[in-house]
Amino acid sequence: MRIVVCVKEVLDPDAVDNYVLHGKLVIGDDGVTLTQTSIPRLMNAYDEQAIEAALRLRDAGIDCTIDVVCVGLEPTAILRHAAAMGADEITIVPLDQAKLDGRGIATILAAYIKNKGGADLVLCGRQASDDDQGVVPALIGELLDAPVVTIARAVEIDGDQVRVTRVTPDGDEVVETSRPAVVTISNELGTPRYPTTMRTMKARKLTPVQATLESLSLSAAEVAPLVRVTRQYVSSVQGNCQFIDGATADEQASALVGVLRAERVIS
Amino acid sequence: MADDALLFCSFDSGRDGLPAGAEEVLTLARSVASARGVDLDWLVVGPMPAGVAEAAAVHGVSHVDHVDDPRLGEFLPDVVVAAIAGYCARQQPASLFFSQTFDARLVAPRVAARLGVGVVMNVVDLLATGEGLVATTTAYGGDTRVEYEIAGHAVFGVAGESILPEPAASPGAATPRSIAVELSGTRERIRTVKKARSEGPRLEEAQIIVAGGRGLQEAENYRLVEDLAAALGGLAGASRPIVDDGWTDSSHQVGLTGKITRPVLYIAAGISGASQHMVGCTAAKTLVAINTDSDAAIFKYARYGIVGDCVEVLPALTRAVKGG
Ligand SMILES: Cc1cc2nc3c(=O)[nH]c(=O)nc-3n(C[C@H](O)[C@H](O)[C@H](O)COP(=O)(O)OP(=O)(O)OC[C@H]3O[C@@H](n4cnc5c(N)ncnc54)[C@H](O)[C@@H]3O)c2cc1C
Ligand SMILES: Nc1ncnc2c1ncn2[C@@H]1O[C@H](COP(=O)(O)O)[C@@H](O)[C@H]1O
Repeated sequence: MRIVVCVKEVLDPDAVDNYVLHGKLVIGDDGVTLTQTSIPRLMNAYDEQAIEAALRLRDAGIDCTIDVVCVGLEPTAILRHAAAMGADEITIVPLDQAKLDGRGIATILAAYIKNKGGADLVLCGRQASDDDQGVVPALIGELLDAPVVTIARAVEIDGDQVRVTRVTPDGDEVVETSRPAVVTISNELGTPRYPTTMRTMKARKLTPVQATLESLSLSAAEVAPLVRVTRQYVSSVQGNCQFIDGATADEQASALVGVLRAERVIS
Repeated sequence: MADDALLFCSFDSGRDGLPAGAEEVLTLARSVASARGVDLDWLVVGPMPAGVAEAAAVHGVSHVDHVDDPRLGEFLPDVVVAAIAGYCARQQPASLFFSQTFDARLVAPRVAARLGVGVVMNVVDLLATGEGLVATTTAYGGDTRVEYEIAGHAVFGVAGESILPEPAASPGAATPRSIAVELSGTRERIRTVKKARSEGPRLEEAQIIVAGGRGLQEAENYRLVEDLAAALGGLAGASRPIVDDGWTDSSHQVGLTGKITRPVLYIAAGISGASQHMVGCTAAKTLVAINTDSDAAIFKYARYGIVGDCVEVLPALTRAVKGG
């Protein structure tokens, strides 16, 4: 069977958080782009876990090819990482993500999958850590007319059935559907494997397969954005913390409890 | 012109007779409808929650449209998507609004795909500008805000935690209509083989939450968080890393990818204040932080701060609460 994993290149969210915390995040002249080249570019963490989910299926004895695809200008480094983890084929669709919306990206990914003759399982991350939108997988599902199962901590294949353990607000839920299906992976899946040095060395020489709008028989109009990012700015935080003093933990504690009682926050 | 109407879609029964986040989303959608001079309608999919008629009137809703079917009794994603898409094919509403619940995160983009319109999630504000709309969303877990420009209609997932519900200037007619949508041809492709079992009280509704993070140092110390939560009659929460490490289970995770809470009191112990955690607790009325690092980001959000070792301060707080 064929598993396609969709991966996105993002700016390291921890680095962004750190710059924001210190009031040092720089937004470029276009009013949108985070321009600091010191912020590392990484594979979206959930997408790395989506690759891990695919590799675990292979480890469990499922005979499968794992193809990893990314729409982005220069994601060769993250794709090589995917290959080092164990992906069989890596494909890049070299288009500027900033000029596409979720619909456009999903249209390209769905066309790539159809072009491959379909996939039995499409794995995505639950959301991208930059835009936090979490819409691309559901859109892919609709375009492929395939069921979509979100926020998985485990994925199993049993014949033509896909069994998914989902992390819901009410606890874990197990659902089944037939393949082909789109499943999104959450961090509860666990830590992705670290590639061996040998695999990393081998992957370093790999050139990703290229796909283009033309090769996917898509017109520019079909991927034109319906929603467009026009501005990005740092959220403001008020910051009026009153520090509670005290020589010991007990002194601090009773002072805080006193304040909270006086303000009727607690009884 | 009714076919310009904005539409709030709900398909859950929520609590206290209203779908989750209904009043917040209605408040936002109402402001856009007023600016546009168009109707705001409310589509209820499945069983009708008791409080809908009243809330609809208060928030200036023109029509309360009801699509019901025996198969809409429990949440079946394919059936719900088909019901909403079927309704839209008949009624031709303009933009659609969802309260961004766990299930709506899946339903909203699927409906957008069916309608061939754009979709924007995590919406915290929306402005009508000339012909178009500008949606403000959170990104990078709340570190930044992003504005999206939408030329035509779209589907919006609204994160209503920061919206203060406000009644409309004049009440709406809230005329009930029953809309028939043919669902017999829709096959549900997802089968639930093991249901999620909701264990007791939920963090989303807790009035008091004590949450712990990596600053607790070791798994055993999570008990200190639970002890203080119990002494205060509240619930215990957690940051993601300690959930990942198994100090507690994921039903306790607060944040972007965990629970979005809005308690009266939130005590964060040994939590640094990363944006992705804070989106889950900044709606708290009073936020208290305990951290050894006086420069920790959490103190920017906190109303009260204790610079200290939470392993000592938590039990001291439990004693102080019990003692008085
Ligand atoms: C897409 C995405 C989604 C995410 N979703 C979530 C989410 O839903 N929820 C979430 O929580 N995180 C989430 N994260 C992770 C988030 O970015 C942070 O990494 C995480 O919140 C940090 O957890 P922490 O504060 O417990 O640990 P740390 O950041 O390691 O902070 C520990 C803190 O404890 C303090 N400390 C150390 N010792 C003591 C002591 N003895 N007493 C008191 N204080 C002490 C330290 O000064 C520090 O401030 C997400 C990240 C991404 C990229
Ligand atoms: N440019 C892209 N290339 C490949 N996959 C993507 C891309 N953008 C989003 N995805 C996939 O869709 C998921 C959700 O992304 P988003 O809808 O942007 O939050 C990601 O975790 C990826 O699996």
